[in-house]
Amino acid sequence: MSQTTQFRVLDFDCPTCASVVERALESTEGVESAAVHYTTGRVEITYDENAAEPATLERTIENQGYTPQPA
Amino acid sequence: MTLDRLPPDWRRYYAKHRKAVVTAVTGLLYVVGWSLGFLADAALASAAVLVLATIVGGYDIAKRGYYELRSRTLGIKTLVTLAAVGAIGIGAYWEAAAVVFLFSLGSYLEGRTMRKTRSALQELLELTPDTAIVRRDGELVDVPAREVEVGEIVLVKPGGKIPVDGEVVDGESAVDQAPVTGESAPVHKADGDEVYAGTINQDGALEVRTTGAGSDTTLQRIIRRVEEAQEAQSPTESLIDRFATYYTPAILALSIGAFAVTRDAMLALTLLVIGCPGALVIGPPVSIVSAIGNAARNGILLKGGEHLETAGKIDLVAFDKTGTLTRGETTVADVAGFGVEADEVLRLAAVAEKKSEHHLASAVLEAAAERDVAGGRVETDGGAAVEATRPGGETAITDPDAFDVVPGKGVVASHDGREIVVGNRALLADEGIAVPDEVADYVREREAGGETAVHVVRDGTVVGAVALRDELREAAPEVVRSLQDAGVRTVMLTGDNKRTARTVAEEIGIDEYRAALLPEDKQAAIEAFREAGHVVAMVGDGINDAPSLATADVGIAMGAAGTDTAIETADMALMADELTRIPDAIALSKATRWNVYENVAIAVLTVGLLLAAVLGSVVHLAGGMLVHEGSVLLVIVNGMRLLRY
Repeated sequence: MSQTTQFRVLDFDCPTCASVVERALESTEGVESAAVHYTTGRVEITYDENAAEPATLERTIENQGYTPQPA
Repeated sequence: MTLDRLPPDWRRYYAKHRKAVVTAVTGLLYVVGWSLGFLADAALASAAVLVLATIVGGYDIAKRGYYELRSRTLGIKTLVTLAAVGAIGIGAYWEAAAVVFLFSLGSYLEGRTMRKTRSALQELLELTPDTAIVRRDGELVDVPAREVEVGEIVLVKPGGKIPVDGEVVDGESAVDQAPVTGESAPVHKADGDEVYAGTINQDGALEVRTTGAGSDTTLQRIIRRVEEAQEAQSPTESLIDRFATYYTPAILALSIGAFAVTRDAMLALTLLVIGCPGALVIGPPVSIVSAIGNAARNGILLKGGEHLETAGKIDLVAFDKTGTLTRGETTVADVAGFGVEADEVLRLAAVAEKKSEHHLASAVLEAAAERDVAGGRVETDGGAAVEATRPGGETAITDPDAFDVVPGKGVVASHDGREIVVGNRALLADEGIAVPDEVADYVREREAGGETAVHVVRDGTVVGAVALRDELREAAPEVVRSLQDAGVRTVMLTGDNKRTARTVAEEIGIDEYRAALLPEDKQAAIEAFREAGHVVAMVGDGINDAPSLATADVGIAMGAAGTDTAIETADMALMADELTRIPDAIALSKATRWNVYENVAIAVLTVGLLLAAVLGSVVHLAGGMLVHEGSVLLVIVNGMRLLRY
């Protein structure tokens, strides 16, 4: 089953940073698609709930050095 | 770095302000190392401190640079890391520390200012209270606002925020709707009026029947629309993004080439630092996001930056007349009977119009109830809404037996074996019904006063006419004038006949009017204006004129707060029913277009001058970084001016 979750990252400081996070999420186990918007800081992730969970996705964003907040 | 031994609240503080702490420490070390450099015998100490500054400040940058490389993106952090490492490699310790410090300071400030634009929407989200007082089983209970069910009665205390979308069922009060519609003056609300979650109840207690809660409220829809708009790229933005993907590799190649030719490592490293077109990529989105945010705060919803760019070029605004230039509250001004009583004329018209959804129909039915032409109660079922029940006098207008709408012309109905036709000249001509002179004179006279008159026909004979009036909005003449002052041509489109239209057009001072239009004619008129080379905005209610709105370059729906379709489909949705927002929105679009140009100009000039100065060895590593970061901050600050336009 596909699930969608959202986070908000307020501290992107350049458009490239957002695309880096997007790619890191896309290469995470169980993630089907990820959209990270530099302008609003919104992160939208569609994932397979049998293979990933919001907590790990949140950690993926943290590991890239950003602070995700629940959206 | 392990921080586990620090007290937890220190750790939290550090995690939150890591960037600021790192920047400050780097800056401090940089100053110490740089000062030591002036002492004769402290060269080694100076170098050591400067290298330490580079490491402290550069650790996070290098880590991000590594992520960039790993995700095959060539970003500024990679370039800065390369430049710093290279500078240390050639013994330029001061430059290495300076580049790292300036970059962290710059990106810290950029992050902070962007956070401001990003959290503007957050503030909107926080408008809705978390809990609602709901009447359940006769008891008043506090429940989380998002768990209120549709149909439940919510109690709103004076001074409290309204937690759900709904309809007032009891009480009356003034409600401050600024958060949702941008209207500055409070709006009076009583029985049957719509209220929105996130608006502020001022002085009376209200009971509200819920129509939407949680994520299904107008405010939530607005927030979603604004986010989507801010995330949508305008044509200018995508053009720049395409340019940026080639620019960085080109500068990198130039840097390697320059080193191969001149053997000047400093020059090559400096080129790396300016190899990211930062201001160019960041400038336009900041302008557009700020403008969309500002518009939303003023009750103007935009579909995206693209529409903002188009709206900045508008040179012709077409208005639908009814409900846009007029209040859309049609009332019966006069009824005339020819050979029958006026009340009978009104009754016939009411029977024929009973199931019609036309705005004229509700006016006729309301007047019928008011005048009590049938001594009973008006019942409606899915037809025109009637709110005219007088104590003691209620009208029973019976349903027609058959009923047929002729769009743009009127209705043909039958009742009690009689045929009733209610409509304009065109309909009578279609039906082959002759209009007696006295009726024609009456109709002409009412039209010359800016009213709309419909003929009432019983079994092929014209027995009377009903004159209807729709008051002009007070702001209409002033709005038309301010558009004309801004060099915008104004046109009124209406289904009314020429005489009525001319009177209204003269009263408003509009440049041009097109009368007797059917809905498809309005669309054709918009098309014709566009073919003549105009950039056309069409203003309407977003429901009846959806096709024309879609045809125009920019479709503007007015009073959209209560209608989801208008919010979803219009390029620009004005939440409040205020004409004056239109010149405001167009002015903001023009300002935004200029702001984007300014930002592109700042960026292109900076990059061009910097490149020239670097290649001419006028500017070196630290100077290059300073100008680069300075230009990024400059475009962000310039774009953010639109937040307060």
